[in-house]
Amino acid sequence: MQAAEAPAQAAPCRSCRAVEFLESSIGKKIMVALAGLFLCVFLLTHLAGNLILFLGGPAFDRYAQMLESNPLLPLAESGLVILFLIHIALAVRARLANMAARPVAYQVYKGKDARTPGSSTMALTGTLVLVFIIIHVATIKFQVGGAKGPDLFGHVTGWFHNPLYAGFYVVALIGVGLHLSHGVQSAFQTLGINHPRYTPMLKKLGAAFAILIALGFISIPIYFGFFNRAPATMQTNGSAMPIGPIGGAQ
Amino acid sequence: MNLTLKIWRQKDAQDQGGLVEYQVENVSTEMSFLEMLDVLNEQLVAKGQDAVAFDHDCREGICGMCSLMIDGQAHGPDKAATTCQLHMRRYKDGDTIVIEPFRAKAFPVVKDLVVDRSAFDRIQQAGGFVSVNTGNARDANGILIAHETAEKAMDAAACIGCGACVAACPNASAMLFVGAKVSQYALLPQGQPEREKRALSMRAAMDEEGFGHCTNEYECEAACPKGIKVSNIARLNREYLRATIVSD
Repeated sequence: MQAAEAPAQAAPCRSCRAVEFLESSIGKKIMVALAGLFLCVFLLTHLAGNLILFLGGPAFDRYAQMLESNPLLPLAESGLVILFLIHIALAVRARLANMAARPVAYQVYKGKDARTPGSSTMALTGTLVLVFIIIHVATIKFQVGGAKGPDLFGHVTGWFHNPLYAGFYVVALIGVGLHLSHGVQSAFQTLGINHPRYTPMLKKLGAAFAILIALGFISIPIYFGFFNRAPATMQTNGSAMPIGPIGGAQ
Repeated sequence: MNLTLKIWRQKDAQDQGGLVEYQVENVSTEMSFLEMLDVLNEQLVAKGQDAVAFDHDCREGICGMCSLMIDGQAHGPDKAATTCQLHMRRYKDGDTIVIEPFRAKAFPVVKDLVVDRSAFDRIQQAGGFVSVNTGNARDANGILIAHETAEKAMDAAACIGCGACVAACPNASAMLFVGAKVSQYALLPQGQPEREKRALSMRAAMDEEGFGHCTNEYECEAACPKGIKVSNIARLNREYLRATIVSD
């Protein structure tokens, strides 16, 4: 598989070692785990920001404006894109290698109940989340299509009045929850953190984090899509007019 | 009791192979699973047919030769047992049992249910040893080892290299095997001189054989007849990361 790789006992070569690490099965997994954990930190900050929607339009727009006017935002966004690319590219490579590792499938495969709904659907939920992120970034950040309000609050909540959009959002976030239910505790194991005292706690932490993130994000389309449709009045006829200071800044 | 067996028959590595149905009669509940296959083979030979090839040796759960994927479970339905330790009292009259070889690119089928597991030998040869100078035997208690550490090392050393971890893994990964082999030396003072070299070489050998990547689904631990823990996989991850950073 890696015939061109330098043997481990070759003369010291730091860059060769780094390449060898990134090409190795364990190195790839460690990078996926690290990127995944950093993405979890992003999810927390993103959720905290989104929950400001519940405080109403002016508060949310003030928050959005503060974020958009921060000169470090492009740097943070680039970092985020890089994290996603590392996480996805290495996970896809690992997945392809795993499919090649068993060319003839079992006629019957049952296992011994160690797999969880989260662990056995990582590729599926990962793909779902990727599709969601593309749609999410296109519609919310770049404001492609949708009912445009005079402000970002109206634009975001306007999307959630579309039951199809809100429904997909909920399904995708359940996917995120499933992905995290395995991913968080799995990342610690991949980083070599396994201890009889801490591992049960980390597993619970992973499950709690998955539930917090999924329910936290899902609460938003549920609330604005089904219980509080008042901002619908802020929708215009959908013309492509600039959307206030925030949308205009893009 | 009478059983229906669906057994993977494959003439050689090149043959495509497929499941073939057999009836075995008068199976005693006291037979082991392998003895039941012996009975089937006697019936087949008596009829002038080719016996089903399967691996076995000690038949007491210590050699690591027997394998078999039984109804989709490596070494069958029992916990912490090899196929030779599985008994027919686990089954009832009229049951249908599907028997397949362990499947992985790194474990090519030789014939029927026999697979070539020499990939494990090559990984071991890459670093699964300690170099000890010959000469007078050292004093037994010359090197102090904490009891808990010795226990952990012995637990890892219980691995018999049967390959059930690979067979049960959804990704055909060998991380539990390599984790156990790296751990048993990483934990002990005798393993320290070659610690980094071992982790780097055994990882490289493992990947070269074409085993899959570990995704921490822990089917390996559930299937392991010797109860090897996935904490050994975490230790392998640590050892490999450490070796990458600190070794020359």
